[in-house]
Amino acid sequence: MSLPYGATLALQSLRREKWINLISVLTIASALLIISIAVFVVYNIDAATRSLPERFSMVLYLDDDIQKDRVDGIISTLRRNSAVRSVRYIPKDEALRELKAVLKNSTYVFEGLDENPLPDTLELKLRKEAVGPEAARKLSDEALRIKGVREVDYGEKFLATLHSLRTGAKTVGIVLIVILSTGIVFVCYSTVKILFYRRKDEIETFKLLGATRAFIRAPFLIEGGAIGLAGGLIGLIGIFAFYYAVLLRLSVSMPVFKAVLFPSGLFLFLPGVGIFLGVTGAAVALGRLRY
Amino acid sequence: MDLIQFQAVGKDYDNQTALRDITLSVGKGEMIFITGPSGSGKTTLLKLVYLAEKPDRGAILIGDVEMETLREAQIPLLRRTIGVVFQDFRLLDNKNVFENIAIALRIRGISEKEVKTKVFDTLKMVNLRHKADAYPRALSGGEQQRVVISRAIVADPTVLLADEPTGNLDPGTAEGVMRIFKEINARGTTVLIATHNRELYRNTGRRVFTLDSGSLVGEVRG
Repeated sequence: MSLPYGATLALQSLRREKWINLISVLTIASALLIISIAVFVVYNIDAATRSLPERFSMVLYLDDDIQKDRVDGIISTLRRNSAVRSVRYIPKDEALRELKAVLKNSTYVFEGLDENPLPDTLELKLRKEAVGPEAARKLSDEALRIKGVREVDYGEKFLATLHSLRTGAKTVGIVLIVILSTGIVFVCYSTVKILFYRRKDEIETFKLLGATRAFIRAPFLIEGGAIGLAGGLIGLIGIFAFYYAVLLRLSVSMPVFKAVLFPSGLFLFLPGVGIFLGVTGAAVALGRLRY
Repeated sequence: MDLIQFQAVGKDYDNQTALRDITLSVGKGEMIFITGPSGSGKTTLLKLVYLAEKPDRGAILIGDVEMETLREAQIPLLRRTIGVVFQDFRLLDNKNVFENIAIALRIRGISEKEVKTKVFDTLKMVNLRHKADAYPRALSGGEQQRVVISRAIVADPTVLLADEPTGNLDPGTAEGVMRIFKEINARGTTVLIATHNRELYRNTGRRVFTLDSGSLVGEVRG
């Protein structure tokens, strides 16, 4: 098997060409560090907004003096809708009581009110997948078509902003990952190409002695993977240092940073991506070289 | 039975003819010499056998396989049946003697245990066992030559090609190298030696092919 000996040759080359390899490793580590910061930001935005669907609700204001059986009819219609998780009926009296409890320090607001100005309302909790600008608007339109529903309020702008924030962060993250990944592949490609030319005589001898292409390629693929792995591990140390030395220190003076989470998936992601991109760069280089 | 056949083979380099209409055959287990002045085409002829070059005209057969019909992936397999003593040695400077010889076996995927046994057996045969850990630059010309021979024979090739194997060696060392070739040949390996040193083939009784300016100009018994 050529693989174990291929690994030996790769190790020897890593040692012999330590400066070229070190520069490549540090370049890859820097790129992976930026990638991991992007992952970090996207992960935290996602985590911060993940619990919002449970809290999100849509409020339906009902016609004045609506009959109880009509309300029951509306409730059962809404419950049949697949986007709706739960429906809570809030009679106008209860709504006023809740409002007074909220505004207990501002009772002057209610002075002079002879009758309850609030309408009967229905509070809808939506299923997770329905909490989005499109789905919420669709449900709102459907609700407005139900007889007895006067108005619907669901924080349209808030939902749209939230959606844009998540999509924007993900898009920027993906673009960054693609650009930097291409850069890493190129670094590995160039490194392997340089190493290949530096070992050209040795490779020629191997060929004349009967080495197959697989035997010649194996050490370079292993070396590419090892460079990528080292870059990934250093990048991981970098993001770890960033988290502990910067974010946790900042959280002492700015408590908002206490909510920042470390994406545990990075432990496997960074070394894994490093190996993958390193091997890919080496494979591309070997595919383009004539030997 | 012929093991190697050249049928009207020609080879050009940049419009200069290196070999012209060469027809010869070498029997299985035979030992032959190819001689001629520098630039006569000896090295090119050997390179055609181990497929470092391809002929521009004619056909070369090893056994009953025509080289021209070989696919790219089959070339390494054919090369594994051939041991080559290169004129410029082609030793790997960053590997010691043991590693330089072992590479020929590792390419063939032979187990480490067998690699050790075979390499040390071969080093013993060429009287270099004590130099196993030395690097090529620390060896004399004769010692380097014997390392190259060891690498060429360690995998028991069917054919051994030697290009000027005694090039810069003193007569005593050259005699020792020839003794090794005869020993290998006696084991059944077909041996082709390209040399301009007449002393190597004189009174051997072997066939000697003479090249001049790329043409085969004579075949005699040494």
